[in-house]
Amino acid sequence: MNGKCVRLAQGNFAKSTIYNSNPVEVAKDFAKQGAQSLHIVDLDGAKSGFPVNLETVLAIVKSVNIPLQVGGGIRLYDQAQKYLENGIEKIILSTVAIEDPKLLERLLEEFGSYRVTVSVDIDDGQVATRGWMKKNTKTVPGLVSFLKKVGITSVIVTDISKDGLLKGPNFDLAKEFINEGFKTVVAGGVSSLGDLEKLNKLGAFGAIIGKAMYEGKVDLREAQERVAYKNNLAKRIIPCLDVKNGRVVKGIRFSDLCDAGDPVELGKRYCELGADELIFLDIAATLENRKTLCELVSKIAKEINIPFTVGGGISTFEDIKNLLNAGADKVSIGSAAVKNPNFVKEAAEYFGSQCIVISVDAKRQNEGWKIYIKGGSEKTDIDAIEFSKQMEKLGAGELLVNSLDRDGTREGFDLELLESITDSVNIPVIASSGAGSMQDFLAVFQKTNVDAALGASIFHYQEVNIMELKKFLSNNNLPIRV
Amino acid sequence: MIAIIDYKAGNIASVKNALERLGRACVVTSEPKEILSADGVIFPGQGRAGAAMSNLRKTGIDKIIPQITKPFLGICLGMQLLGSTSAEDKTECLEIFQGVCRKFPPTLKTPHLGWNKVELTGESSLTTGIQNGAYFYFVHSYYVDPVRSPRRKNCCAIFTRYQSELTTESCRDNDTMSLSRPKPTSNGVDVAEAQIVGKTSYGFDFPSIMQKGNFFAVQFHPEKSGEQGLRLLNNFCELCI
Repeated sequence: MNGKCVRLAQGNFAKSTIYNSNPVEVAKDFAKQGAQSLHIVDLDGAKSGFPVNLETVLAIVKSVNIPLQVGGGIRLYDQAQKYLENGIEKIILSTVAIEDPKLLERLLEEFGSYRVTVSVDIDDGQVATRGWMKKNTKTVPGLVSFLKKVGITSVIVTDISKDGLLKGPNFDLAKEFINEGFKTVVAGGVSSLGDLEKLNKLGAFGAIIGKAMYEGKVDLREAQERVAYKNNLAKRIIPCLDVKNGRVVKGIRFSDLCDAGDPVELGKRYCELGADELIFLDIAATLENRKTLCELVSKIAKEINIPFTVGGGISTFEDIKNLLNAGADKVSIGSAAVKNPNFVKEAAEYFGSQCIVISVDAKRQNEGWKIYIKGGSEKTDIDAIEFSKQMEKLGAGELLVNSLDRDGTREGFDLELLESITDSVNIPVIASSGAGSMQDFLAVFQKTNVDAALGASIFHYQEVNIMELKKFLSNNNLPIRV
Repeated sequence: MIAIIDYKAGNIASVKNALERLGRACVVTSEPKEILSADGVIFPGQGRAGAAMSNLRKTGIDKIIPQITKPFLGICLGMQLLGSTSAEDKTECLEIFQGVCRKFPPTLKTPHLGWNKVELTGESSLTTGIQNGAYFYFVHSYYVDPVRSPRRKNCCAIFTRYQSELTTESCRDNDTMSLSRPKPTSNGVDVAEAQIVGKTSYGFDFPSIMQKGNFFAVQFHPEKSGEQGLRLLNNFCELCI
């Protein structure tokens, strides 16, 4: 405000405190303390309806090396463009998002939803705009559905009545947006490590700390160590063994194994090599050999102490029960899930989501992918992305995504398919089909959000050694259990 | 003999297989007598908290567990049921520990599934020889938030009953194993909190190994966690004399 760093109390322009008269120096100092990005508000701009401190903002861009987001007074296309083309990572829109949906749509189309954030200012359950001076009649639920419809994915939510008081943010308000799937940054009243911890556990994407920083109530380093987002979950490598009448098929070449067709011996070998999980697929699933399969599963369970999934022809409750009782950790359901989605729901409710893996067999068609059944031999009219979402809703615990276009080609995983699916669901996804080299595994983990990658012949023919693959991925900074 | 409590919740075969691999005698049972006379008790679990608790109540095992004075190990859901309440099916649990079970927020992929690191934050005989930051296998959608929140007024009574067992023979055996038993205060209310022995980061830190006296609990599946898992189970078995 007026080229200086200030804080207001409850949005009142008359109650401002000047903390520092040189915003560029303040920005540099915050960056030095370890801030990962800076949130700048042009208060004069917010009040007057056009950017006022633009020169100051652009001076900050030149002096710090961390991403910046800027809001305040951006109401016209040219103003937004000026920021976005001059080094600002994201712009924050408030008033205009509500008063000019057409502009919002245009910006989203040209710059993408990643670079446009909507700041939602709430006062007493109502949406406030114009520098918080004019109360808009829009309510929170109305705004949520509007923003979802235009395609906004990230929001900053401020409860004005909490702002500048250092008494904690409005957690319930934050939840309303988080639970609707928005990347939600919470502002207003965030004043302690406890607040930050609670917000992180609610699933907030971030928090904006203003006054508490200026007054030294929150130590950034401590916050990052103790309460920031942290995840040590490893990416999994899963060999898949095709089994027929209790024997492994697809000539596996381990010269030192006496019996290369014994699933138990092979499973043990892969365990020793560091496989994170195993999948056994019964490729000749018939009623007669169900019993053989169960006997095999119970032998495997006695010898192997990592999790394993069994799939192939599973279509009844009895199938699942027998396999789990024999010691399988999970079952993979294919055609039966497509023909009778309700089966998935009932199975998940009865056995628990954690043991229900759904096999998604997809093949490219025009702009999208269609689901195939019966081992890829029969086409359906079901969209693969919609199917994945439906399975998640019905209680599937994990998706095993097979690309029929890539299967057996060794051209690498179908990154586009996998990205589309991981973007649409919030359960773990196993990438399958197409692995031909270690680079392919690296690519699928770096470029998509899959949790595990499966290989069959690439491991069986010893073209890639699992232990070496895991070292390679770990050396490339992926979280891997080595 | 180690008793594996069978209450129709999940994959008991794996736990039994792992103990057999370690050469430990075990029995899968839901008989109170067998549970109380065993040298140690494993409480595995999968599936939903509501159904599991109602099975425990039907068989009366809910009343047996607080009386156990021998080493006790809750696994996965078996850990969660030792807390006060669970958000899953809004279930009242056994309240051996303080703590409530919450669902992971919608922004994290759920279930939390796969191998994750366990950072050791406290001493325990359960983790002897296990490296800090070792990987264990997890599958769960709820986690224990170790907050102090007495759920019911009669929780003191439960603790008193549990404390009264401290005077039995078996308890002295436990003491020689130097487990840090909670000490009752003069009014009989247990003030000792469960200790967080290990924590894991999935979005944030949650307790993955807890201990309160003879009650141990792990959120991961040691029976599915390769060599490290077997070592942990072996450590537990070593305590069961």
